[in-house]
Amino acid sequence: MALLEIDDIHVFYDNIQALKGISLDVEANRIVTLVGGNGAGKSTTLRAISGLLHPRQGAIRYDGRPLAGLGAHDIAAMGLVHVPEGRRIFGRLTVDENLLMGAFTRRDRKAIAEDKERMMTLFPRLRERLRQVAGTLSGGEQQMVATARAMMARPRLLLMDEPSMGLAPMVVEQVFETIQAINAQGVTILLVEQNALMALTIADQGYVLESGEIVLSGPGRDLIDDERVRQAYLG
Amino acid sequence: MSASSPAVALPSAPWLKALKRLNAVDIVLWALRIAVLLVIVAGTIGCVVKGRYTAAQWVDFVVFGLTIGSIYAQIALGYTMVYGVLRLINFAHGDFVMTGAFAGYFIAVPLDQSGFLQRQPVLAMAAILVVAIATSTSVALLTERIAYRPFRRVTGLAPLICAIGVSFFLQQTFRGMFGSAVKSYPEPQWQRAAFNVFGFNVPRIDVILIALALLFMLALYLIVHRTRMGTAMRAVAEDAEAAALMGIDVNKVIVFTFILGGAMAGIAGVFYAFLYKQVYFFMGFTPGIKAFGAAVLGGIGSIPGAMLGGFFLGLVESVGPALFLDGIGITAPYQLRDLIAFTLLIMVLIFRPHGLLGERLSKKRA
Ligand SMILES: Nc1ncnc2c1ncn2[C@@H]1O[C@H](COP(=O)(O)OP(=O)(O)OP(=O)(O)O)[C@@H](O)[C@H]1O
Ligand SMILES: [Mg+2]
Repeated sequence: MALLEIDDIHVFYDNIQALKGISLDVEANRIVTLVGGNGAGKSTTLRAISGLLHPRQGAIRYDGRPLAGLGAHDIAAMGLVHVPEGRRIFGRLTVDENLLMGAFTRRDRKAIAEDKERMMTLFPRLRERLRQVAGTLSGGEQQMVATARAMMARPRLLLMDEPSMGLAPMVVEQVFETIQAINAQGVTILLVEQNALMALTIADQGYVLESGEIVLSGPGRDLIDDERVRQAYLG
Repeated sequence: MSASSPAVALPSAPWLKALKRLNAVDIVLWALRIAVLLVIVAGTIGCVVKGRYTAAQWVDFVVFGLTIGSIYAQIALGYTMVYGVLRLINFAHGDFVMTGAFAGYFIAVPLDQSGFLQRQPVLAMAAILVVAIATSTSVALLTERIAYRPFRRVTGLAPLICAIGVSFFLQQTFRGMFGSAVKSYPEPQWQRAAFNVFGFNVPRIDVILIALALLFMLALYLIVHRTRMGTAMRAVAEDAEAAALMGIDVNKVIVFTFILGGAMAGIAGVFYAFLYKQVYFFMGFTPGIKAFGAAVLGGIGSIPGAMLGGFFLGLVESVGPALFLDGIGITAPYQLRDLIAFTLLIMVLIFRPHGLLGERLSKKRA
């Protein structure tokens, strides 16, 4: 059984149908990526998984449990954590407070302090900026805060929506390395990217989304070699 | 994206360009600014020249301004926090103040008659405050649950109109239960005495109310900035959706916000009643609307802004009549103190809608 199973979900914004029956599986400990052009429905898929949107039809199961009817905060508390598009860190809170909010559902103060220490080892730049208001950080640093904040929840499954957006090529490289490092620690990753080549390179499994439907899927390597993917997304 | 267009070379001087862009509304607004400024300057000069007030009187004005200002500040905090998390102007907040004052009244009167209020001021005041806080917090929570939660995802004017409805409902309910007559609050002996500060007599009640208000506001500040729920409240105020993704139950945070706001309203209600020595069903309206003005003045959504705005408004309306209005020859200027307060509110809304420290009072963020 896969950690996350999505079974034929249909999602609407009022009367506009954004997802037209999507099914996909995320196996535990893997990196799975969802690629596709603007408006394909990638973010919508993640928002449906994390409970920000509710499918009109179809089912989502996490660790065997159906998620229907649960609020976003309930789902986050189950270890399914979503780093939304645009990072959405709390810009008026300090970096430290952002990390604290990531651990909101946890009570074990000691373990939280240890995890914070781990995050500052993973992102040494955050250590110097702990008391700084997060909105004043650079884009790359804000991405670090967003990732560290999500990791403070001790996720089992991390949904990441375009973590490389708006970052310089060097920094993008680091972001992908971080994702692999997190995955190596046993966190399953569902990654949405416009940067299809890099995403497919690190992914075990890939899905290609086009206007609300999955048009292709397979191991990341195979998709990179696929003629249709090459033409549409890799240039 | 930047809205600035590339500079087009025009032959005219910059000031001429600015003049051309001026329209009728701008001219009226400038006239308004100048008129208010003239009243203030002329009034102040007139006041100084006439020298009608003694130093002791000025001290009275300032102390009273700080006292009423500290009450406005506490009420304003409720407006600003609820606006922060819900983007809703809780029009009924002034009536939460009234419910607190009433509840305090019903415990203060027997305590006064038995002599307990006189003998044990600290215990008696604590009891009055606890009852007032419990009452206005309960009213705030019921209002949130019954009247505001169904409107959570509704945009537009409906939630605001609902809040106005709640305000009328609370006023008329209290009128129905306790009549429309003004009831006088007890005034124990220890409140009437005065402290001597640098040779000036300062009413003891004023000093007590200011000190307690500062204490409660400090407590609130620490809760909002040092506790987990307080931090969650600031996170929700900034981005409720991102907060939910972190496992924060937004409903619980909203309830928490109404508890804090309700408690401050209850305290303010008791203080207001002890200051003016009376309660009646409509008493929450004026301080409520003024405190809302104070919150806007400080920048709605900003907690330090609400405190600053409250004290500023209190001072202006207390010192203003003597300083500005008496000087330009207006008789009985004290009856116009509300005029000064509301003129200030209108001026803020026109010229500085985002207040001194805060964000723009505007549509809900997407
Ligand atoms: N709030 C909304 N209201 C109405 N339609 C929306 C809303 N959000 C997204 N859509 C529509 O749903 C479709 C899918 O959008 P989605 O944001 O999931 O795309 P995406 O694949 O994440 O695109 P991008 O790469 O640009 O982020 C688009 O056609 C979009 O216009
Ligand atoms: Mg997207």
